Amino acid sequence: MKKCALILGCLLPLMGLVHSGAFGADGLKVGVILPLTGKLAKFGEIEKRSFILAVDEINASGGVNGKRIDLVIEDTTGKPHVGRSAIEKLISRDKVLVVGGGYSSSVTWAAVAVAQQRQVPFLVNTGSADRITEQSWEYIFRLNPPVSEYPKALGSFISEIGDVKTAVILYENTLFGQSGSKKFSKQCADLGLKVVMEEGYEAGAVDFKPLLVKVKAKKPDFLYMISYVMDASLLMRQAKELNLNPRLFVGGAAGFTLPEFQKNAGDASDYVFSATLWTPSVPYPGAKAYYDKFAATYGCPTEYHGAEAYAAMYVMADALKRATSLTPKGLRDALATTDMMTAFGPVKFVAYDKKTQQNRLPTFLVQWLHGNLETVWPKDVATAKYVYPVPKWNER
Amino acid sequence: MEVFLQTLVAGILKGGLYSLIGIGMTLIMGVMGIINLAHGQLMMVAMYVTFVCFHYLGIDPYLALFISAPLLFVLGMVIQKYTLNPLMEVESLLPENQVLMTVGIGMVLTEIARFVFGSDYRSLKTSYSSSAFYLGEISFSVALTAAFFLAVAFTVFMFWFLLKTDMGRSIRAVGQDKDAASLMGVNPRRITIITFGIGAALVAVAGTLLMPLYYLFPDIGGPFTRKAFVITILGGLGSTVGAIFGGVTLGLAESFGATYIGMAYDDMIGLLIFLLVLLFLPGGFKRLTKI
Amino acid sequence: MAETSGQKADCRPFASTHGEKNQKMTVKRILPLGLLFVLILFPLMVRDDYQQHLMILVLMWVVIGSGWNVIAGYTGQVSFGDAAFFGTGAYTAGLFAYKLGISAWWAMAFGGVMAMAVALPFGWICFRLKGAYFALATLALNEVMRHVATLWESLTDGMVGILIMQTFVSKVPYYYIALALAAVSVLSIEMIMGSKWGYYFVSIREDEDAAESLGIDTHFYKMVSLNIAAFLTGMAGSLYMNYMGFIDPEVVFSLHDISIMAILVGIVGGVGTLYGPVVGAFVMVAVHEFFRTGFFGFFNTLAVLTGSDVVHVVAGYVMQAHVLGFGILVVVVILLLPNGIVGDWEKMMGTLSSVRKKGMAG
Repeated sequence: MKKCALILGCLLPLMGLVHSGAFGADGLKVGVILPLTGKLAKFGEIEKRSFILAVDEINASGGVNGKRIDLVIEDTTGKPHVGRSAIEKLISRDKVLVVGGGYSSSVTWAAVAVAQQRQVPFLVNTGSADRITEQSWEYIFRLNPPVSEYPKALGSFISEIGDVKTAVILYENTLFGQSGSKKFSKQCADLGLKVVMEEGYEAGAVDFKPLLVKVKAKKPDFLYMISYVMDASLLMRQAKELNLNPRLFVGGAAGFTLPEFQKNAGDASDYVFSATLWTPSVPYPGAKAYYDKFAATYGCPTEYHGAEAYAAMYVMADALKRATSLTPKGLRDALATTDMMTAFGPVKFVAYDKKTQQNRLPTFLVQWLHGNLETVWPKDVATAKYVYPVPKWNER
Repeated sequence: MEVFLQTLVAGILKGGLYSLIGIGMTLIMGVMGIINLAHGQLMMVAMYVTFVCFHYLGIDPYLALFISAPLLFVLGMVIQKYTLNPLMEVESLLPENQVLMTVGIGMVLTEIARFVFGSDYRSLKTSYSSSAFYLGEISFSVALTAAFFLAVAFTVFMFWFLLKTDMGRSIRAVGQDKDAASLMGVNPRRITIITFGIGAALVAVAGTLLMPLYYLFPDIGGPFTRKAFVITILGGLGSTVGAIFGGVTLGLAESFGATYIGMAYDDMIGLLIFLLVLLFLPGGFKRLTKI
Repeated sequence: MAETSGQKADCRPFASTHGEKNQKMTVKRILPLGLLFVLILFPLMVRDDYQQHLMILVLMWVVIGSGWNVIAGYTGQVSFGDAAFFGTGAYTAGLFAYKLGISAWWAMAFGGVMAMAVALPFGWICFRLKGAYFALATLALNEVMRHVATLWESLTDGMVGILIMQTFVSKVPYYYIALALAAVSVLSIEMIMGSKWGYYFVSIREDEDAAESLGIDTHFYKMVSLNIAAFLTGMAGSLYMNYMGFIDPEVVFSLHDISIMAILVGIVGGVGTLYGPVVGAFVMVAVHEFFRTGFFGFFNTLAVLTGSDVVHVVAGYVMQAHVLGFGILVVVVILLLPNGIVGDWEKMMGTLSSVRKKGMAG
């Protein structure tokens, strides 16, 4: 009797053997791993919807050389080890030709190691930690810029305005925050800025006042924050409560560009700059069309993560079309020679500095002006003029 | 000087809110000896109730208190009656099954919230959400100050309740000696149900007051449960006044830690104080003040 | 207290009345050997990487759950902080490879030793307390370890984590190593619990004051018990590092995913029983994956086969609600089987046979 239970216990996982890769025999399988549940589910959902939007468009216009693309999406729950289980499953059981998605840096990092080892190409579209493309792994490609390049546009902007001398960096204690702050600190040194305070915090804090009051005492010219959306809005609200007035507030992550930030922070969000990778008004064909179609299809706005996913799908389809053989290796070689334009920008995988197979894209500066997110830098793509220095709280 | 004073104020105000979170738990732990690992999740449920009231019914959070607290009271009673009380009957090797039950319940509550509301961040903005008043250069958040005074009011009320009312005395009796209490004609099962309900209602008040200041998503419960423990241990099990002291102490420790050591360390500081008190002052403040 | 767990009033864990002794011992021997045999053949019969991956996880949880069982199930000190040992083992292995350039395999035993080193102050702090306070203290220490790993960036690289390339591409070697570790754990626990130490542990659980008054140095034996748990859990952590190739403080010091999961494995399987953690590990991992993949893609297949939209939607909901399903399961198991599957085996069988009888009668 005990035997029954023990054997049953063993057999339970084996049950799944019954159906492995049974259906979709003549479609081209593309795997995607995303956080569909857990804390990051919201962004996972946006990316998933974007992938689906793209694949539907591609299939509707004849697919790839007449074959349809079948998306197999797995939930990583936002955790690296689940991400590994997910990608293992995609590679072993679903036998996908290529994997995309990933989202957070830590999950992406854990997953690409598997992809490289199993020699299945992985197109990273969101994970931004630099090291992901610094390993000389020939099966890993990245569409989006690494986190160290996010504030590139900020660099040229600061050179333009000139009178910014001191900076304070605040960052969340995650892979993204810790690595991003180190890179930005270095960039400040290169620009001749003095970083007078650099401090991390655990995401989800209720009260940032002790931290902000220290920032206020240092009287910096500008405050750079690497935060996710809700921390970002609390930081701004509490900065307003404390009457903290640097000349410039800059956000270093998606947190500051999402509609939730503006909704939650209200007028405290006004005049906040942010480095960003994409807005609907970027001069790439299809960008605005994608933004509008997403809003029409799903009834809610998209943002740059979605654009990354959408573009990634097109890149993978393009590689599938050009591949000389429909095997992971053939696809890898096709991806390496990608040279195309997408709604997210031009895509060509090159090597520079320590990186390999990394796409290079410019970044932009946006600023919240009276509830609207306007692109303000570089000047040639700006939709509005930037406001600098940022008006003091009691002067608004 | 400004830094010091602002930190002090931030700590005390935050402490008031924290003590509201802790007072429910100290009651539950003091009376029933159950570690309720779902405490933060109960608060989360109250926050969703507040959100729904505000967003769909247009009810201000301070009024929504009158809805969320009774609702959570009932929920607390249901949880105790159907999932925790039965465990007290069953003989098992370890009494800690109760704790794990609360873990399971916490999981269920979180996932139901996710199912219904999604993982999106929700928040509500009232006219006073971000407003502050100033005494000199020191800023006081309006909502947090109000929460502080309400916390004190509730503590006083609970103190009176436990000391002077029949129900309160029954609760304390069951907490001291269950068998003796039942010999005195008190039904311990009924009392535990009511106590859990009261504990849940108190944390509901904390959640409702926190809502304008913070934001909401299904996983918000965990860290608050942990803070509730620290406060409970600091203040002493079952001590309402202890909860205020515990809350303010934790608030101050976190604030000063954040300012003078580093914000990344504030959680650690709370934990270290927790351990120190566990080791060297096992009864918490209660032992010092005998309340 | 111990009486209703299906064991006689005798405190020795494996005692039984003399007459049935031979029969029970034979059955007790055959089942586990049979299971071991099946497990040894497993990767040769099942070539699927994904299934092998799941079994490796199961075996790892057998080790962690057994470790927890020693300190909590047998000795009665319910620890909520076993992730502290797991994480220590994992980081030891990781840092060996990353900072010292030594293969992470050497670190496996060392990982266990480092975890024991952590267990010493851990126990020293926590054993001053009893019951709920003890549990809370272990929880707090778990969190402290996690913060230390996150903040001590010069040592651990903080949230950047540690990544190493795995030694083997195939999962099979990892499987056998995990199997060996699990088998050794269960065997050594069986030997320990059959010895005098086992006596002492259980007596501490049953009535610590009485044990003390009988001259048993409870503090010493509690530490021994904790060290055993720490060693096993630490080794599991090192194995994890070697196998997964990536760790960060949130993963390996996770209160929820490691410490509480260890407790669930023990409780669902059956505390204070030798094979409880084995059954618990199987059940917890299987159920977790089962729910996460929507019954292993069953719903998806059903949706495609029937072409029905409704089934698709239901499939979507089931997969979304996988953690909810898991949580409900935990609640139900604790309510109905408080001594776990192994502990309440007779009860379960009793219910089933009475149901069958009713069926036959009716």
